[in-house]
Amino acid sequence: MQPVITLNAVDYAIIGGYILVMIFVGYSLKKYMKTGEDFFLSGRSLPGWITGLAFLSANLGALEVIGMVANSAKYGIATIHFYWVGAIPAMVFLGIFMMPFYYGSRVRTVPEYLKLRYNEATRGLNAISFAIMTVLMSGISLYAMALLFKIMLGWSLTGSILFGAVVVLLYVFWGGLSSSIYNEVIQFFLIWLGLLPIVFLGLKEVGGFAGFVAKLKEPLLHSVKYLGTSNNPLGVDWFGVVMGLGFVLSFGYWTTDFLVVQRALASKNINSARMTPIIAAFPKMLVPIIVVIPGLVALLVLPEFSQSALPTTEYNSALILLMKHYLPNGLLGLAITALLASFMSGMAGNVTAFNTIWTYDIYGSYIKKGKSDSHYLRMGKYATVFGVAISVGTAYIVQSFPNIMDYMQLVFSFFNAPLFATFLLGMFWAGATGWGGFFGLLVGILTAAGHYILYKLGIVHYASDMAANFYQALWAWLADFVVTIGVSLFTAKRDPKELVGLVFGLTPKTKAAARWLARPAVWGILAIVIAIVLNIIFW
Amino acid sequence: MNEKIEMKDQKTGMGQGHVLDLKLPIGWLLSAYGVLLTVYGLVTKKEMYAISLGLNLNLVWGILMLAIGGGFLLAVFLKKDRAGR
Repeated sequence: MQPVITLNAVDYAIIGGYILVMIFVGYSLKKYMKTGEDFFLSGRSLPGWITGLAFLSANLGALEVIGMVANSAKYGIATIHFYWVGAIPAMVFLGIFMMPFYYGSRVRTVPEYLKLRYNEATRGLNAISFAIMTVLMSGISLYAMALLFKIMLGWSLTGSILFGAVVVLLYVFWGGLSSSIYNEVIQFFLIWLGLLPIVFLGLKEVGGFAGFVAKLKEPLLHSVKYLGTSNNPLGVDWFGVVMGLGFVLSFGYWTTDFLVVQRALASKNINSARMTPIIAAFPKMLVPIIVVIPGLVALLVLPEFSQSALPTTEYNSALILLMKHYLPNGLLGLAITALLASFMSGMAGNVTAFNTIWTYDIYGSYIKKGKSDSHYLRMGKYATVFGVAISVGTAYIVQSFPNIMDYMQLVFSFFNAPLFATFLLGMFWAGATGWGGFFGLLVGILTAAGHYILYKLGIVHYASDMAANFYQALWAWLADFVVTIGVSLFTAKRDPKELVGLVFGLTPKTKAAARWLARPAVWGILAIVIAIVLNIIFW
Repeated sequence: MNEKIEMKDQKTGMGQGHVLDLKLPIGWLLSAYGVLLTVYGLVTKKEMYAISLGLNLNLVWGILMLAIGGGFLLAVFLKKDRAGR
């Protein structure tokens, strides 16, 4: 098969420059990795702007960008719900209400909080499922990168897998979480600089927003107007969007997924930790510029996506075809580098989350307790090596069973959705007990799995797979919430003194920063107001 | 390039772990890209830009990236200058 895109020496120089800088950054951080906290939590020393941009980029992976451009081509403006409804409120909530407990209790990981607040069993359930999930995700990301570069540029699959793995291994092994975070910040700039030319050229060619209005079908142009029934492009009603996506899925991901929370824990003080997700919320609001506009442009300018085309069109190829359509060599290399950077940082993020959870919550808690800090630092480095090795193995397994990828992502959603109920009750209700938390989480996971089986067997019906996904999250959350309360009423309460610093109401309020411009609540409210205004404009 | 990596937070003695100022690698990378794209934009012919609607986007974007990268390097330089005084 002919590759879609042909690169020249200038493009390769741009790609090579990025790889060199990443290796250089990792190598320069090497000499500062003296303690476990340096390696796993960047010594809790980073300023808010760095952790904030990393917080956002950890989620702005290449698969996310390609997938959201595809969604925009398929569903139109409604894709903005994944940003203005499905992310901003949760990010602000994390910064204002939850971060004082995460950062203030000095926990090193999300499962560690669960142990302090609930019990060992709850931590074990979360730590083991999360560790397996991250290392498999890292393999998926590696395979997706190799597959994309094979189709797009004709690179060999094995070559890409091994090359990507070695680069990520080198810089994470040397620089730990700091390497990962620094790469994410660099990726943040590359993604914007790499994709904005497509946005400008696209808008110029179709004649700006007026062009969209004149040429696109009406339902593709509104985010809310057509949500009254499930008869809209998304196939989900407003209740599913607000409660399923906006509440359960979004809060579950942004407030409990260690992959993103770890970035805030690396901040230098509690104010920076609380500002981390709020700083991230502002650029997050703008991400639709680089995903929704290209998606709509693709519908108008690419012959493959003309509105009379067959519905079997492969929407995931939209971004790649736009790059080919608009970008000359030079800028093309920059856009490819942006995708490469986001694949690598996606993998590095998973590997660093894995080595931390493995070392602190599994190895240090169940296998070898009470060893010296340097012992755990060494283990963290070994964990990086075998984490990358498992990723390479996973990449090969996925290669022979391409459908496994969809199934794995689905299985992971079983673990994420209910967890938010466990956290909400844990942080805001002192009456939740250890076993209440454990059984709530377990039943929540089983409910998600059970709902999925019923949906696949055709016993429950939804207008679209997306609707099924939103409602599944909602049921899993509700099951966790109800069971946690129910079991808590019949099991022994914790002594309130033990819960100081872990539960709202038992914890003295964090002192707000003196200057009101530095206060998380001020910026958080501003972010919410802007998000509401944006929602109204694109109603 | 190594000597440009300065110690941060020397006053407090904290932040041992992370003394690489991230503005430097970002600044160098973007400036280098800027120079490369600007020069490439100057030496390439107009025909190549038919797909980008006739705009020499390598030149435009190269200058923009040089400005952003230069801005990061300038920020580090000014900070060092202030600390030096």
